[in-house]
Amino acid sequence: MDVSQYLEIFLDETNEHLQSLNTQILALEQDPENMDTINEIFRAAHSLKGMAGTMGYKRMQTLTHDMENVFSEVRNGNIKVNADMIDVLFQCLDALEEYNTTIRESSDEGTNDNSALIKRLNDIMNGGAGEAAAASESAPAVKAPEASAAGGGFQSIKLNENQQTVLSEAIKEGKNVYGLTVKVQESCILKAARAFLVFKAVEETSEIIVSDPSSQDIEDEKFELTFSLIIVSEAAMDEVVSAASAVSEIENVSGSVLKLEDVSGTGEPEEPSGAAEVPAAAPVETAAAVPVETPAEEPAAAAQPAAPSQAPAQANAPAAKKAANKPVVNRTVRVDIEKLDTLMNLVSELIIAKNSLVSASAMSGNSSQAVNEQIEYLESVTTSLHESVMKVRMVPIESTVNKFPRMVRDLQKKLGKKMELYMSGEETELDRTVVDQIGDPLMHLLRNSADHGLESAEVRKERGKSEVGSIFLDAYQDGNNVVIEVRDDGNGIDTNAVKNKAIERGVITPEQGEAMSDKEIIDLLFNAGFSTAKVVSDVSGRGVGLDVVKSMIESLSGEVEVKSRLGEGSTWTIRLPLTLAIIQALMVELGDEKYAIALGSIQTIEDIPPADVKLVQAKEVIQLRDLVIPLIRLNEILDVPSKKDPEDNLVVVVVKKGDKMAGLVVDELIGQQEIVIKSLGKYISKCKVISGATVLGDGEVALILDANALI
Amino acid sequence: MSDANTVVDELRPVGETTQFIVIRLGDEQYGIDIKYIDNIVRMQHITRVPKVDDYLKGVINLRGEVIPVMSIRIKMGLERDVETKSSRIIILKLEQQGTIGVIVDEVKEVVTLENERIEKVAYDSKDEKANFLCGVGKSEGGLISLLDLNAVVLENV
Repeated sequence: MDVSQYLEIFLDETNEHLQSLNTQILALEQDPENMDTINEIFRAAHSLKGMAGTMGYKRMQTLTHDMENVFSEVRNGNIKVNADMIDVLFQCLDALEEYNTTIRESSDEGTNDNSALIKRLNDIMNGGAGEAAAASESAPAVKAPEASAAGGGFQSIKLNENQQTVLSEAIKEGKNVYGLTVKVQESCILKAARAFLVFKAVEETSEIIVSDPSSQDIEDEKFELTFSLIIVSEAAMDEVVSAASAVSEIENVSGSVLKLEDVSGTGEPEEPSGAAEVPAAAPVETAAAVPVETPAEEPAAAAQPAAPSQAPAQANAPAAKKAANKPVVNRTVRVDIEKLDTLMNLVSELIIAKNSLVSASAMSGNSSQAVNEQIEYLESVTTSLHESVMKVRMVPIESTVNKFPRMVRDLQKKLGKKMELYMSGEETELDRTVVDQIGDPLMHLLRNSADHGLESAEVRKERGKSEVGSIFLDAYQDGNNVVIEVRDDGNGIDTNAVKNKAIERGVITPEQGEAMSDKEIIDLLFNAGFSTAKVVSDVSGRGVGLDVVKSMIESLSGEVEVKSRLGEGSTWTIRLPLTLAIIQALMVELGDEKYAIALGSIQTIEDIPPADVKLVQAKEVIQLRDLVIPLIRLNEILDVPSKKDPEDNLVVVVVKKGDKMAGLVVDELIGQQEIVIKSLGKYISKCKVISGATVLGDGEVALILDANALI
Repeated sequence: MSDANTVVDELRPVGETTQFIVIRLGDEQYGIDIKYIDNIVRMQHITRVPKVDDYLKGVINLRGEVIPVMSIRIKMGLERDVETKSSRIIILKLEQQGTIGVIVDEVKEVVTLENERIEKVAYDSKDEKANFLCGVGKSEGGLISLLDLNAVVLENV
């Protein structure tokens, strides 16, 4: 079968499953007893196996198969989750990820069998099975007589500790515990559906404690003709049995009453096995409707009046819980990102066309009221259209940040430090392209915090901090920007160490170092080839790092800042624009040329008399409400002869970057406009102060000034 | 000419032909391999981009796309372009640099040359212009210098 057309979907879904596995296994590590998590993991592993099998990736399938086996044993309570197992599972995920990468690159899974991992998985399995066998020595003894008993008898189920306690307590409380074995007719086609109906019928009066095979397997039709249940019920056994056998295509249902000895601990293997024979030897055939032991029925009948309201509630509780835990399936469509790009481009074209229409109607001068109204209407439609398309492209940063808890866990082991990652705002949305690219810089900052920021446990103790270091990753929207903060409560940045290093590396001279403020020194960290780690580790400290972080974020039109207090920790703040493609901009004129300045970076626009321009350290500044703002004469920077008379008032556009401000001197203001950002291409990438270009209504190209670069 | 001097370029197998667009820069004729040409447009307003090398004239709007435009003349060390009625911008699509426009004085014709009639030029470090050529073609109209577009477009470091 040619499956190449499904490759994309396969890769995407594999990624999703791997991500989910990563998250769930982390959760499992915290809470090894959580059945919901284990079920979720099992499901993901199972789907992975199925998909790999369908696509013909045998090695991937083998590995996932063995993983699934382990989970299955965990789910059945035969193996306990331990740290070693979690480690192996994580290694398996890494191996799967590797397969996935190889497949993405070459559509072949490669030749790595990962046999070592598979062996370890099997060891876990065998170890677990060995324990289980030892723990349930009694089982064969129980089973043997049953096997010999007529096929209709109740077949006992291996119980784990939890189930044993639940059942023994139920019996002690005077409730009835029954074992049921249901046989489906051989001609039955939809066995799973019949089984489901039996479950439902039984659940009306009783609570199902355990089933063999597991309910999941029954749901998946992974059973022959019979399955067994152990239930806690308020009702009489023949009632339950007849309810179950009322389901069509059920051949027979046999039940037996279980006593305390049958369900309690495996500590005394002989006794229960002996006692178990009693109910096993006296199976209750539904057809025969043998009366059940009366002593068991007596308390049940007594409890009955109070029970009806209670029993459904009990049955409902687990169901409701299950529903809440299952993620709500959204009705979604998977769309190729290229199609979205095309759509976005078309919207851009439309906005350009709309702009041309506006300028054409303004030019002709004889525009009627009606035309203007229609143009305004068109404007509002294109703006909403743009917003909708933009929203379609927005995805939560979750997909990127979800891998970080796992990474921090690994770092913790590698660095031998204790740390905890706290994340918030994972649902914050950003343009898809930004989300795809923000992962690496964030990863770097986190590693940086873990390696350089956090102190070792001993040092932390000395300083009176908790031994476990904290790293925070917070994302939130702030106006037209999205802010992502990486914060740690570690050592903070030692400005003296940075300064000495910079002098040593020849980045600055000692004299410069003396004159620099702490903030300026911290900014040195973003210089290429700068690392203060004394030892180069494979976590960080290769000297390519913060400069790469900075340039990557700047390539996304964002900015990064750092604040730090020695001994208390540092905060790295990344600020990203919500969208890259279309922005509101202020159009300005310089000489004969038009430029656009993104509205988002503009603070105010001021009219300044030339006399108010002061000189500070040979630089022109203006004073604005107690702030001294340096002036940047754009005509000098952009080599355009100014048309303005030097005596006239200056038009100053005040822009802000972080907490720095600057006043850009322009000739004229043209007005506000929605512009479509087009790249200048890498061919003209040398020009730092221009961040892109846009096509104006009249077809001319205007350049977009990068206020960040100007400051 | 001996056979050894004919082109041994795997891109231009012997026995086949290659089409060139003949352009004029000043008094000289140059050929541009047609496979790189996306479009030829009339001169239009070029938006200057500040702070770039002077051979980069700026950007134009080509059906909504912003395309950089360069001057071959300045790049090759000839005198500056004089815009006339016959001036054109040839839009090239190159693998590495993407789409880029080059200004020429005139677009003359399309010629088809048999690959055997294309000869490589000897490398001459003294002749700056020769660095931008990848060969010389002999057609009925005379000799045509064939531009090595990658060298023409290559950024000055």
